[in-house]
Amino acid sequence: MIRARDIHKSFGAKKVLRGISFEVEKGESLVVIGGSGTGKSVLLKCLLGLERANAGTVEVAGLTDPKPQILAAQVGMLFQGGALFDSLPVWQNIAFRLMRGRARLSHSDAQALAIEKLARVGLGPETAHLFPAELSGGMQKRVGLARAIAGDPPVLFFDEPTAGLDPIMAAVINALIREVVSDLGATAVTITHDMRTVHDVADRVAMLHEGNFYWQGSAREAFETDDPVMRQFTQGLTEGPIPTLR
Amino acid sequence: MTVFATLGATGRATAGILGTMGRVIAFTGQALMWTFRPPLHWRELLVQLVQIGWLSLPVVGLTALFTGGALALQIYAGSARFSAEFAVPSITAIGMVRELGPVLGGLMVAARVASSIAAEIGTMKVSEQIDALRTLAVEPMQYLTVPRLLAATLAMPVLVAVGDAIGILGGYAVGVSRLGFDGPTYLRNTLDFLEFWDVGSGMVKGAVFGFLVALSGCYFGMHSGRGAQGVGEATKSAVVLASILILTANYLLTEAFFSA
Repeated sequence: MIRARDIHKSFGAKKVLRGISFEVEKGESLVVIGGSGTGKSVLLKCLLGLERANAGTVEVAGLTDPKPQILAAQVGMLFQGGALFDSLPVWQNIAFRLMRGRARLSHSDAQALAIEKLARVGLGPETAHLFPAELSGGMQKRVGLARAIAGDPPVLFFDEPTAGLDPIMAAVINALIREVVSDLGATAVTITHDMRTVHDVADRVAMLHEGNFYWQGSAREAFETDDPVMRQFTQGLTEGPIPTLR
Repeated sequence: MTVFATLGATGRATAGILGTMGRVIAFTGQALMWTFRPPLHWRELLVQLVQIGWLSLPVVGLTALFTGGALALQIYAGSARFSAEFAVPSITAIGMVRELGPVLGGLMVAARVASSIAAEIGTMKVSEQIDALRTLAVEPMQYLTVPRLLAATLAMPVLVAVGDAIGILGGYAVGVSRLGFDGPTYLRNTLDFLEFWDVGSGMVKGAVFGFLVALSGCYFGMHSGRGAQGVGEATKSAVVLASILILTANYLLTEAFFSA
């Protein structure tokens, strides 16, 4: 479902991705972990077509090196800060893509679909007419998730889904992600620092370190491995091979 | 050493300015290309017509009112030296509709609109809303830039026309109340000497200035740096570029329209 072959990406002299290759099978949930500034978000943007890799090939849902606009019907994306459109009410944010194009939904159908998706993420219909500025951080994440699943896409991407949330709300969002991915039978890639997300969401974990996947395995293996890099990261140790000054 | 350092700094500054000019020209080309590609986002266009046109009326109107009054006083003081006070109404009107209406209106709209466009789009960029648009199959140039360019280009001539009328009214108020002109005579002198192209040229200038204002705001918004400082820098640069472009375009258009 998702294939990356020898992805290289540099910004000026700084080499961020150095030949990453991996596959994510249909229905699998891959969680990518790694320190700040190691290129996790850049990798996600390369998969989405928002950044063009300097070398290598990306294949998502059968499309090779697609532009994000072409990929839109196949992919849902939950951005780190929600990235909701401030000028639109919640229901128009959720149904945004489905209200455009040749097969666009009518206003009433779009509103009904948005309310259905809001219910899916645990929000009532009264939320539909609020604006993003009127929502708490947790509600914004839920609305972002509702927007990501609005078109029932076969591929879902999550960028730091629990960033900025309290532990309870983070657990709620992780549970919702697990549920919607399972319900849709979707293939998912999640970028996170949050070990709770790794535990709750991952079928497979990959550690991005020095521009490549340094380690891959199951969530349980990620927490039990003796590898010094993995142990330092998963346990949050200041002593170890990963430099703390980055 | 100092000479080489100065030369180096001058060269880098020149290269920087030329680079920005090239990027602005390329952005303009892209924006024009997207303008003629369907679909047009009508809702965004209507929202921007209200934001840029309707909500700029108070500031443009007040500017024109006081400028018209001050212009009548200045022309009266000048023309009195040649016993040509009768020319105050017509010269005030011609000065307003050809130059001061479009230029001051354009500069006020630049301050109000270029800054707000740059800040809005810059914030959208920083908060990943522009990336979100692309992942939702919407081209940001088409959704954000085109409606603003069209709205500013369509709204500015109307703003200039309204500003012209208010400016002439300001001159009339000062002429009648402070300079002792007879009201009907002042109006007749204004209308008799005003030609269609005086007003038309000002409205054409307005359309060009509106395009330049929106272009500056959109360009710097789309190229905004990260964080509050990046958005602040984009806002400032948008107003500066819009003002320079308006004054430059005004000279070039005046040369094209009125040089013998």
